[in-house]
Amino acid sequence: MEAAAIPAPAAQDDHHHGPPVANQSSRVNSEVLGILLFIISEIMLFGAFFAAYFFIRVVNADGWPPGAGLPVAVAATNAAILLSSSVTMHWTDVSAKRGNQAGMRIGIVTTFLLGCTFLFIQINEYLHLGFTPKTSASASVFFGLTGLHGAHVIIGLLLLWMSAVRIFKGKVGPANYKGLEVPGIYWHFVDAMWIVVFTTIYVL
Amino acid sequence: MASKIRQAGWYRALAFTILGIAVCIGLSTGLRAAFGLNPVYDGTAVLQISLLMVPIFFLGGIGCFDYWLRWASGRKVVDDHADHGAKSWKDYFKVNTDHKVIGIQYICVSFFFMFVGGLMAMLVRAELAAPGRQFVDPNTYNGLFSVHATLLIFLFVIPVFAGIANYVLPLMIGAPDMAFPRLNALSFWMLPLAGVMMLLSFLAPGGSFAAGWTAYAPLSVDAPIGQAFFTIAVQFAGASSIATALNFLVTIITMRAPGMTFFRMPLLVWANFSTSLLVVIATPFIAASQFMVLLDRALGFNFFNPAGGGDVLMYQHVFWFYSHPAVYIMMLPGFGIISEVLATRARKPVFGYRMMAFSLLAIVLLGFTVWAHHMFVSGMPNWVRIPMMATTAIIAIPTGIKIFSWVATLWRGVLKMDTPMLWATGFIAMFTLGGISGVMLAMVPLDIHVSDTYFIVAHIHYVLFGGSLFTIFAGIYFWFPKMTGRMFNEKLGKIHFWLTFVFFNLTFAPMHLIGVQGMPRRVSDYAEQFATWNMIISISSFILGLSSLLFLYNMVASWRSGPKASSNPWNSLTIEWQVSSPPPIFNFDTIPSVVGGPYEYGVPGAVHAIVGDPAKDLVPAGAGATEGHS
Repeated sequence: MEAAAIPAPAAQDDHHHGPPVANQSSRVNSEVLGILLFIISEIMLFGAFFAAYFFIRVVNADGWPPGAGLPVAVAATNAAILLSSSVTMHWTDVSAKRGNQAGMRIGIVTTFLLGCTFLFIQINEYLHLGFTPKTSASASVFFGLTGLHGAHVIIGLLLLWMSAVRIFKGKVGPANYKGLEVPGIYWHFVDAMWIVVFTTIYVL
Repeated sequence: MASKIRQAGWYRALAFTILGIAVCIGLSTGLRAAFGLNPVYDGTAVLQISLLMVPIFFLGGIGCFDYWLRWASGRKVVDDHADHGAKSWKDYFKVNTDHKVIGIQYICVSFFFMFVGGLMAMLVRAELAAPGRQFVDPNTYNGLFSVHATLLIFLFVIPVFAGIANYVLPLMIGAPDMAFPRLNALSFWMLPLAGVMMLLSFLAPGGSFAAGWTAYAPLSVDAPIGQAFFTIAVQFAGASSIATALNFLVTIITMRAPGMTFFRMPLLVWANFSTSLLVVIATPFIAASQFMVLLDRALGFNFFNPAGGGDVLMYQHVFWFYSHPAVYIMMLPGFGIISEVLATRARKPVFGYRMMAFSLLAIVLLGFTVWAHHMFVSGMPNWVRIPMMATTAIIAIPTGIKIFSWVATLWRGVLKMDTPMLWATGFIAMFTLGGISGVMLAMVPLDIHVSDTYFIVAHIHYVLFGGSLFTIFAGIYFWFPKMTGRMFNEKLGKIHFWLTFVFFNLTFAPMHLIGVQGMPRRVSDYAEQFATWNMIISISSFILGLSSLLFLYNMVASWRSGPKASSNPWNSLTIEWQVSSPPPIFNFDTIPSVVGGPYEYGVPGAVHAIVGDPAKDLVPAGAGATEGHS
């Protein structure tokens, strides 16, 4: 006989007050997998802007760099700042896993402040470049890519802010650090993406 | 009143929307003053900022962010499942985290937009019934076909598949819900916002967006403000589908029932797995293309401005790198539906189950290598055409595997030609025709000849109407008893099918002929020589349009007062049919155990999954203790 032979549970079961616990069919944690898939999506978003970069700089041969030249030293310093924030982020993660409350607090605040410093320097750079997106297509690509990255820094900072609030309310610890781990993974992505943006925009 | 505004819901959404508009006016004037721009108040600037930000205020008001904001601010959050499940029809108008409610919400909203978009097609056909001008001026005509295509693609075909899968997929894999129920709710609520925004564009000065659903730059950069409605609405529709796809992937990977290996998953699950991969990887490209258009429009960027060194062709590359995979996003879930319906109604296992799964993945991979076949006449380097022609023709192989496997599934089956089966078999015939004209179009010489003619219109409607829409109807009829707990009217369903099938062909088949003869698409007027065919097409299309009212009546009347459906009216093996119709609020009391393949029809005693309390129902007492977390 086919499946029809198996009795279906009678109508709605009203005394049941919650879903059954789902079977965990993968070793990967669902929140971590979710943020990783989101990051794939984000990489493709950057990929589209890199396609614009490729078409305008290589295919169309619009002059590069836009303007009189890009402040490579400033951007390199900024890259160092953002990279060191990845180190402090990792330290925050490790502290959370070990239950080190003081380490977590110092780590998240440092990371957050380093991110803000990056943004501050970036905006300051914008104001002193001497060209605007209206100047040329290369300038548009410059602002498009660095601006897209800047927007991601802002999103990352918002996520870090949420983690910080929860850390200072004592909600994060060895048993409960998903709310820190997931923003942490995103922050590492934002940092890694800057290396790619920095290399293609300023170095190459 | 004050308490109503504090509570998540429509009152608060209205209040937040008004607040959002005020904030946008303040932001716009503030920024313009800070940058020293004159005049400080600029209606266009306010409108564009509002289109971006007011929907977010609305989502906050309706209650999409409440839980997350409580959690992020470190307050106590309780999972009391208060917003899970619908007790009355009013609950369908609230933020709900139940995948079954969200599935119904998706389906109803997308069918609403199908009827609106279909009505626009009727207006287009009315205008084209005879040469010369009948009802609308050319600009309105351009707006009508642009909004028609955009609504049916972004607000109907893509989301209705997400809706069907939302309802069925967690049940099929034995999960109590989706992996991220609140993200699921947010994905749904972004959708009607995008649709309403597209419709509102008709009120914009200069008319609705009229650059086609492809919105090629620089036309879309220079077009009147109505175009911004497209640019921004697509962002919300895109964000919605990315979030849903991510949710499906995580659900499928991490929440399958014990025993449900990848090769025991029903093909609908495989199809949505493949589709979700496409969405997560490809959709950011259309987001980027529209961001660039918006930056060019609003802030004077030069991405597509040749005078400033911009690259116009780049738009088409970025756009089609999404929009070609998008045609598979609009087709693969339908493939899954057809596999379910055919196996169940032919009482046979799906022929070549593994090849069916692998061909889906092959289409995903190949789908990313063919985008420039939409650009053979765009002026891109000629050599690019040849590899694109080859890869496009290669896609016919995995698609052919699917067609032949379906036919082989039918071979010597015990066919029950009821409504879902009629749609499924009708799909195979129509989609094959659409696929054949697709391979023709892949050939560069033929494509150059018929580019921008009605041949293209015929092809796209054979794959999206004869293909996707037929699978949607098959799926809706097939799962209607599960979703509503009632049976639809079989006789009306069959009449609906035959009317649609006949008049679909009378509408779109002649378009191949007049296309080859050179009738251009996207033009509101045409030469005398096409008059006869166009009159026939228009009359057929009106009957085709009317036939959808039969469907609407059947659905509404059957939902209200159709005969009660049993839990498994089709004698199907997959898990969603082993629970009551409609399913219990949390799907299962205990997670089912999967013990075999999903399509073992005709095998005596075959069981796909054991659903219910195994200790009580099937297994001797005491043996049920190990069930669950393996």
